[in-house]
Amino acid sequence: MTELALTGFLGLSAALVGIGIFGILTRRNFILLLISVEIAMNAAILNFVYFAAFPSGTHGLSGQAITVVLIGFAATEVAVGLAIVLALNRLKGTINVARATELKL
Amino acid sequence: MSLEELAFLALALVAIATAAAALLVRELVHTILWIAIFFVDLSAIYFLLDAPFLGVLQLGVYAGAVTILLLFGIMTTRKRIFSRESATGIGPVPVALALVTFVFLVSALGELPPSTSTIATYDPTALSENLFGPNGPWLLLLGLIMLAGVAGAIYLVREGRE
Amino acid sequence: MTFSSFAAPFAPEIVLLAGTLLIFALDVLKVRRIEITGGIAVAATLAGIALVVADLGFAPLAFLATIPAAQIDALPAAGAAPLYAVTSLGLVFQAIFLLAAFFVALGSTSRPSDERGASIFFGLLLLATLGMLLVAIASDLIFLLLAIEVTSIASYLMVAYTRTDARGVEAAMKFFIIGALSTVLSFFGASLLFGAYGTTNLYLIRAAGTAVGYPTLVLLGYGFLFAGLAFKVTLVPFHAWAVDVYDGAPHDVSAFLAGGTKKMGIFAFFLVFLGPVLAVDAVGQSGYGLFGGSLALGPSFQLALGVIAVLTMSVGNALALLQKEMKRMLAYSSISQAGYMMIGITIGSAPALGGATLQVLAHALMKTGAFLVVSAVAALGVGPLIEDYRGLGTRRPLLGAAFALMLLSLAGVPLTIGFVSKFVLFSAAVRAQGWFLWLAVAGLLNSAISVFYYARVLKAMYFDPSPVPDPALAGAVVGGAGPPALPVGGLGYGRAAAIALIAGLIVLFGIDPQLVLGPIQAAAYHFVAAGA
Repeated sequence: MTELALTGFLGLSAALVGIGIFGILTRRNFILLLISVEIAMNAAILNFVYFAAFPSGTHGLSGQAITVVLIGFAATEVAVGLAIVLALNRLKGTINVARATELKL
Repeated sequence: MSLEELAFLALALVAIATAAAALLVRELVHTILWIAIFFVDLSAIYFLLDAPFLGVLQLGVYAGAVTILLLFGIMTTRKRIFSRESATGIGPVPVALALVTFVFLVSALGELPPSTSTIATYDPTALSENLFGPNGPWLLLLGLIMLAGVAGAIYLVREGRE
Repeated sequence: MTFSSFAAPFAPEIVLLAGTLLIFALDVLKVRRIEITGGIAVAATLAGIALVVADLGFAPLAFLATIPAAQIDALPAAGAAPLYAVTSLGLVFQAIFLLAAFFVALGSTSRPSDERGASIFFGLLLLATLGMLLVAIASDLIFLLLAIEVTSIASYLMVAYTRTDARGVEAAMKFFIIGALSTVLSFFGASLLFGAYGTTNLYLIRAAGTAVGYPTLVLLGYGFLFAGLAFKVTLVPFHAWAVDVYDGAPHDVSAFLAGGTKKMGIFAFFLVFLGPVLAVDAVGQSGYGLFGGSLALGPSFQLALGVIAVLTMSVGNALALLQKEMKRMLAYSSISQAGYMMIGITIGSAPALGGATLQVLAHALMKTGAFLVVSAVAALGVGPLIEDYRGLGTRRPLLGAAFALMLLSLAGVPLTIGFVSKFVLFSAAVRAQGWFLWLAVAGLLNSAISVFYYARVLKAMYFDPSPVPDPALAGAVVGGAGPPALPVGGLGYGRAAAIALIAGLIVLFGIDPQLVLGPIQAAAYHFVAAGA
């Protein structure tokens, strides 16, 4: 029987989503942007896992099922992002989002 | 303070530190190192939450596959492996936005039950029955996402010589 | 549950999936001619439209209906938490999505028949449409977000399908980053709502409404979801990406993004935010958090949504006035139209939702048509600037007239569907009374402003002198340089048919709005009543 307080977990996921949003807004390297997205995504996944462990309703188990699906989804998203960046790298030789300035901002 | 709480506190601090380090170090390869530690650390937290199946999944998919994919991405998009992140200005707006998000979220802490509560545990059989039973459509949707992703990604990176 | 009873509600989805797999299989067999892959896409979307319209109760097609009428708009059994439920408003949206996909597929068949990437374009087009159809039957937050991701992932890759065009791939990269951010915010919001309510079922969340112990979690959850979905619908603080992506994407893909995928976000807004908007009581009673005590959820949400709606239409219009390029002007106009649609969910009454749905239908027709015209005009060798369109109306009277009709409909001129939809929407706002009246006033003022930039294009097309030498005719005179001229004045059969059909529908629905208004209003009524 494990006993834990709920508040610490929400504090952790709040910090992680904050770091993720900070990274998405400041980093310009595509790989770092992907990593920022994954950090924030892990905060959401962590939320689902511990709300499944401390269910406030009768559907706690769904939280774990969502986690399985989300982990699979995140891997797909990274693969698609890398495919796009590889195609762009072949065409332009840069993966710096700010330096790829063909389009006006 | 119980042993579990101490363990959680340590793991949480490591998670925050590695996540921040991954974004702040200047060598991209070091970033991958930190993010790998971050993924492993989170999987330890899942074990602590009595969700061993998710912990293993996190290890296999995130710490394994995603990390390797990211490393592969860095190695193929840069001539020199040990390249640096170009200098970026950290303006006040992103910091403020991230801080506001954090403060708002932390403000929700107060309304949660402050006392320690028992963790609900589920055995993997129940999880798989849930995933392939009432929540089966989620997996079908994941399959569609992967179909779109795989088909498009393969087309996009294929060296065109048709 | 037998397979057939499980599969019955998914008939149009199964047709689209079969079309996708067929196209991919043919691609492996090196059958890549655009006539074949495009033909499959056109046939699949057309069959989907027939199935959906039959389910909506259109008598001549009743033999195709697959869903028993009793299952449509049926409330879930007590205690059940279904992941999907067929509503008549969802069916209306499915028809709109399929219509947009059909026109894009039809128009795209006029591209060069040996074009590389045609099979991946049409396959992903069908998959993206499939995701949109699933959004329209979702009744679970995670089902909804995953269905949105099917469309998003497919559309990032569609933007990059030319593969050798740096502008397209770069637009895909920007689209991907913004899309990934929006996904993360949505899922984080969903996780907070799951924590507060203990379920992700939208019916159960709507029923639990205000009886929840964690008001701050609820509010933050909806806040994150709002930000995530607002990126998809291009509401104003979250709109900047749309112009770059619509501008950089291949023209036919822009038509699908503006006319199709964006509407999916509008329906997601309907599904997620109708509950909180209609919640009248205060949420929770707790002494903690920033919003400790109690919070009137409904009015706060209406105020926030209303402000965003007015901002979206005003900023979109103001920036559209400044644009020199046709696609960027259309993109900003598309942003401002999203503001009009938000009026519907802000008010949350059945007439307002019906008006917004009609606006979605109108915008899907007008924007798809306008981008298809841009695609056709670009294929004729005309440049991207508005001033490049000088004299188009006199040189190509039919194409010019169709484009003029679409622009007039966007501006809301009577006898077009654009007028009807705005009339229904704004009169619903007036009828809702209170401060909603100001939404109607803002909408009317913005419609008046928008006339300026549409009129600028019309002036260029009909009153400004043609540039010399005429670029559209130069290819025909010099000859040899360009690809062989297509039939129907260089447009090609597919594009000409799509543009003519859209123009016809705009006028038909404009003259006899009851054709669509009746079913839409009834569907909106059921949709609102289902949660009450």
